[in-house]
Amino acid sequence: MTARDTILNAVLAACPAGDARAVADAAAALLDDPDSSRPPLAAPGLPEAFTLKATALGASVERVANMASVPEAVARYLERHGLVGLSVQPAPALTALDWTGIATHDHLAADEPAALGLALYGIAESGSLVVHSGPDAPILLSFLPLHHIVVLRESTLLPWLEDYAARLEAASVPRNAILITGPSGTTDIEGSYVRGAHGPGFLHIIITGTDDIPE
Amino acid sequence: MNVALPPFKERARAALADRTLKLAIDRTTGTAEAKRAAAVAAFPEFDAARARGRAIKDHVIANLGHYLEMFERNATASGAHVHWAVDDAEARAIVTRLCLDAKAKVVTRSKSMLGEEIGLPHALADAGIERVETDLAEHIIQLAGETPSHIIWPAMHRTREQVAELFNASHQPPPEADDPATMVQSARRVLREKFLGADVGISGANFLVADTGATCTVTNEGNAELTTTPPRVHIVTAGIEKIVPSTAHAMALLRILVRSATGGELTQYTTFHCGPKRPGDADGPEEMHIVLVDNGRTKMLAGEFREMLRCIRCGACMNHCVVYRQIGGHAYGGTYPGPMGSVLTPVLDGLAAARDLPNACTMNGRCAEVCPVGIPIPTLLRAWRRRSWRERLEPGALRAGIGLWAQVAYRPALYRLASRIGVRALRAFGRDGWIGSLPLAGGWTAYRDLPRPSGRTFMEQYRDQQKGRK
Repeated sequence: MTARDTILNAVLAACPAGDARAVADAAAALLDDPDSSRPPLAAPGLPEAFTLKATALGASVERVANMASVPEAVARYLERHGLVGLSVQPAPALTALDWTGIATHDHLAADEPAALGLALYGIAESGSLVVHSGPDAPILLSFLPLHHIVVLRESTLLPWLEDYAARLEAASVPRNAILITGPSGTTDIEGSYVRGAHGPGFLHIIITGTDDIPE
Repeated sequence: MNVALPPFKERARAALADRTLKLAIDRTTGTAEAKRAAAVAAFPEFDAARARGRAIKDHVIANLGHYLEMFERNATASGAHVHWAVDDAEARAIVTRLCLDAKAKVVTRSKSMLGEEIGLPHALADAGIERVETDLAEHIIQLAGETPSHIIWPAMHRTREQVAELFNASHQPPPEADDPATMVQSARRVLREKFLGADVGISGANFLVADTGATCTVTNEGNAELTTTPPRVHIVTAGIEKIVPSTAHAMALLRILVRSATGGELTQYTTFHCGPKRPGDADGPEEMHIVLVDNGRTKMLAGEFREMLRCIRCGACMNHCVVYRQIGGHAYGGTYPGPMGSVLTPVLDGLAAARDLPNACTMNGRCAEVCPVGIPIPTLLRAWRRRSWRERLEPGALRAGIGLWAQVAYRPALYRLASRIGVRALRAFGRDGWIGSLPLAGGWTAYRDLPRPSGRTFMEQYRDQQKGRK
């Protein structure tokens, strides 16, 4: 008998299999009335709630009118931190912007100082950014840089974790789906919190407003 | 994992005498307790969230066969290879073979207690493979040649001064100062090169999502993604109880897991890994393997320890345990320390070897109070004590003593007489209202005083009171 059969036989001997349909119904019922067991949003508006959570986690957040305002906001951030050069995620929404004046590149160095990425969603409940892997979305872009700058479109803000789960399951699940909640940190030495453990030490989020210039 | 260790009592005595250890434990568990309390206070629906979490875990456990097959089907469809291991030896063999097949010279590991449970660190060393622990705490204990002393903070038994000594001896160049921030930067620099040069990355899983076939890891440092993305092969080892029906169910559990563990709302990185690199993907491993490990879990499913399968490994029980906070994790001797470990270690190492652990408990019930999935840990520890008695594992002197006490307790008149003599005799040892030493009870009075008894038993006083009422 294979290990698989041994394990499944032992499982089924202890807990006989139920009707698949009944199991699915029971699983769905376990998610009923989600409001009863999740925390309230930090503020009534999604951008405000998101911003409160993300800044409490040590991220910085700024809001700009539209995507076209992103390069300017990025330039200000780079200047403020004395950074030169920027790795830009090869996502059309970012590469199509006017980067005149900033030395952008599309590769990632092992110790990349700063990189710009695009979030697929933001989650207001927890201040989380969602990124998915893909041809124009390298996962390492969110982990190698010391300064991680992320563009979040206000229209993609979701209230709760469950709202994201529903979107993930409706689409085809990517190889990697990551919720980024604040900059990298550790409490492994005496429980004291230190930022920038392995991932970015700085997380800057640029929320773009809805008055986007038509592309 | 069975390593020859001195008996529990000796380990505990040594730990109690170690003042540096006590300092280290207090620094981390104290912070953890306060942060959890704040997180729970800020979440009025926490109890409802716990009830939901418990119901989700119970549902999965009752339908585990259904969900394991669903997970296997969907993980396979995503391109991952699913392996099954009945015990730790099989799991070690599978992982080692996968590493050798991949001609791995360097393997990076993201913290996984299951990896510790199945003895992966030794197995990789035996196969001649360089193992790089990437979680900061695991990096610390790898340098020290130790095992984890806590399931969330594996290096919590070490003070910052001790960590500085380790880093000064092994980091090139050594950190410039011994404050945590500087030392973290030093580890970041040392490990960054390793991440990108590894052949295989090994992680655990906090959840296995049945309806997508994804594995989920939660980390604060970002080391899991740096471990699982660059190498050509990603191996996941996970216990079969880690299944959840869907991503939404995982979200419900994440809310209580992280608050209970660190007092955060979510960890900085919550990552769902679903299969190997897709065509066109910018990065990711060519192969993904998932090893599903039983190692005693089906035995728990069939018996009186089934409720322990709800455990989501948050560590709150140990942070709030008066015993753990005195002796730390290593004294327990198993992979999993503290209250949850005292339930699990007899499953993994056998009750004969771990008989002392269910007894190293004051039954104050704090572990059950803070458990996010309502595991009645004291009840389960009592079940081990009963089984140990039935299997006659207690030493002869203890059995004889309890047997004698039982003979007296079965006879109420004799018991009352013995109590009357006892409380009067005890008064003779009292000084200033306290008893500081007692013959035959030095083990107790060496560390604590007893209040001097009033000289009359409860039954005597009760009888007098009842008389006065009439």
